Amino acid sequence: MPLKSIYRAPWFVKVVFVVSLFIVFFIAGVSYKHITDLSKSQELVVQTYKVNVELEQILSYLKDAETGQRGYFITQDSLYLQPFLESRSKINNSFAELKSLTKDNPVQQKNLKELNVLIENRLENFDLVSAYTANDEHTELQFKMIFLNGKNIMDSIRVKLNGMIALEEKILKERQDVYKSDMKFTPVFLYSLIVLTLLLMYAAYAKISSNVDKLKRSNQRLEIFKEATKQSEIINKHGSWRWEVEEDKFHFSDNLFRLLGEKPQSFDHTLENFMRYVHPEDIDKLSAQVEQMKEDQELPFIYYRVVHADGSVHYLKAYGRSTVNAEGRVQLLGTTTDITDEIDHFNTLEQRNQELELNNKELAAFNYVASHDLQEPLRKIQTFLSRLEEKELEKFSESGKTYMARINVAATRMRSLIDDLLQYSRTNKSDEVLVETTIDSLIEDAQQDLAESIVAEDASIKVDRLPQMKVIPFQIQQLFSNLISNSLKYRSKGRKPEIHISYLKVLASADERLNNAQSDFYHRITFSDNGIGFDQEYAEKIFVLFSRLHNKDEYSGTGIGLSICRKIVDNHGGFIFAAGVPNKGATFTIYLPVS
Amino acid sequence: MADDYTHIILADDDEDDRMFFTEAFEELKMNTSVRTFNDGVYLLDHLMKNEVVIPHILFLDLNMPRMSGIECLVEIRQNSRFKDMAIAIYSTSASEEDIESTFIKGANIYIKKPSDFKKLKKMLSNVVTINWQYQTNGLNRDNFLLRL
Repeated sequence: MPLKSIYRAPWFVKVVFVVSLFIVFFIAGVSYKHITDLSKSQELVVQTYKVNVELEQILSYLKDAETGQRGYFITQDSLYLQPFLESRSKINNSFAELKSLTKDNPVQQKNLKELNVLIENRLENFDLVSAYTANDEHTELQFKMIFLNGKNIMDSIRVKLNGMIALEEKILKERQDVYKSDMKFTPVFLYSLIVLTLLLMYAAYAKISSNVDKLKRSNQRLEIFKEATKQSEIINKHGSWRWEVEEDKFHFSDNLFRLLGEKPQSFDHTLENFMRYVHPEDIDKLSAQVEQMKEDQELPFIYYRVVHADGSVHYLKAYGRSTVNAEGRVQLLGTTTDITDEIDHFNTLEQRNQELELNNKELAAFNYVASHDLQEPLRKIQTFLSRLEEKELEKFSESGKTYMARINVAATRMRSLIDDLLQYSRTNKSDEVLVETTIDSLIEDAQQDLAESIVAEDASIKVDRLPQMKVIPFQIQQLFSNLISNSLKYRSKGRKPEIHISYLKVLASADERLNNAQSDFYHRITFSDNGIGFDQEYAEKIFVLFSRLHNKDEYSGTGIGLSICRKIVDNHGGFIFAAGVPNKGATFTIYLPVS
Repeated sequence: MADDYTHIILADDDEDDRMFFTEAFEELKMNTSVRTFNDGVYLLDHLMKNEVVIPHILFLDLNMPRMSGIECLVEIRQNSRFKDMAIAIYSTSASEEDIESTFIKGANIYIKKPSDFKKLKKMLSNVVTINWQYQTNGLNRDNFLLRL
């Protein structure tokens, strides 16, 4: 598409203009030449006619002379000689005229000379006849000779004149032919040139009008964009400004005035006017930055305060970068934003954080009370009980011994409640860091903690290989410890406890239980036992704090262990699910995100 | 020091605990001499005397009025006179923070007060018979907390 690309080229209109101008000049030149040629040829025609007229005139003068001379000859009256006498000077005049008319034609000049000789001869002949007539001494024969001679000369003159007229007409015809062929070709040429010019100009016009349309559309878009920007400035509480470096002139957008608490364009766009709103403590800092800006032609992020007319203080943030505009002039474009809300939010957040920290401290204090102050009297009760059992048991009656045993059971239960609660509140901690840990060794440590019970119940624990994971180690150890002790506690009476811990890395999208997954991949740890299991309808309930499925006389749970498990998994951004079949066993599935 | 006694000191503000402690050693019938102090200030007043017999093992309760066990620990470990003295923390709680900080500050072993007198006797006898040379050199975070 070379034509189209030429049409689309930005220089197209200019080229068309130059070409059109050139063609118009060319046409003007050609027209001028032709008009000149036309008038010249007109002159030539006139000249030819003049020559012919003069030649005819000469013939006519000669005839007049001849007629006059004949009259005189017949009447002997000199009155008839008058035209003959006048003809001489008239012929001379005509001759002079002809000479000048044919001066650029050597053939005609030569013809003229010959004609002149013939005319002289004829005039001499006339003179001879006149002389004879006046003296009356003529003879018939002489006269006859002279007349014959005169007639012959006259004939020669006629032939000569006719030749000359024919020649003149031939020249005229030649000239007219040349002119005609010129005239035939030129209009076609000029016409096509004009048509071509018109076509070019039409293309240029189309191009200009399409450019104008484009410009209009661009302008419309620009207008919309400008309006949108204005609104965006209001919504987002920011204003823009421009500093023209060379002229050292500022331009402020409407909203910049609003940021200062003023109506748009309510004062002149000068730095001094702007500075009047700046908080007195920030003026020095801002001025220094602006000076620096003028030097660097760049404004880094700067924070300062302004004071509105109503006395309220607002926090602003500004930033600017230099650009080069279409005319090649450097200007600095800047944006200023009101960040008062952000600062307020930040302060509120800071306050909340402090409150939260205080709460945490209180919680820690509570932890300490629970762990220390509550445990201490209980521990003493238990120690005294053990002293009593050791030293005084024999002195008790049977019912006294039963009471002692019941007190012991109650105290032990209280201890495990306090211990579990403490553990539960400890898993609250959010400031623990995730550490790359070998999970196998955590499970081993958990088994170590429970070694006594594991041996006592003759339990077998099979653990598949687990990869390293990013976890809070002591919490994950706690998780396995709780799950194992859970399995041991709820073992089936008829068989040895068997625990199997298996592992699989899964894709979150491929597992229907991971609907709310935040990570793409998860570690799936499946913990299954062959204990008493539970009805599937309780699968969710068992994770609730203090919830128990059995009477505490049958099983010694506190209802906290699995709540701790869920909390630990939550802390890791994972999920835990329980599945149970009564008298077959329970399965706990733990998902931990792959980081 | 001509005697063969193992000198033991306990600083604990709780009267019952001091009683359990001394009774346990009485029943253990080991060659020990046990002294108790009611808080850290009394303890340090005693230890800072020039003619004092430096005990082999010092049991420190953590939660005491006036001067806590941790403060005593720091003060004592700053004094080179007591560099060969073993310090056992003897506390109701066994929170991670307490275990961590006392270990860092130079305690040798951490005992959580048991709730069974028999267990208490077993623990104390264990502590007394530990080869302290070995225990002090191999400062080991893992067996810092005494488990039975």
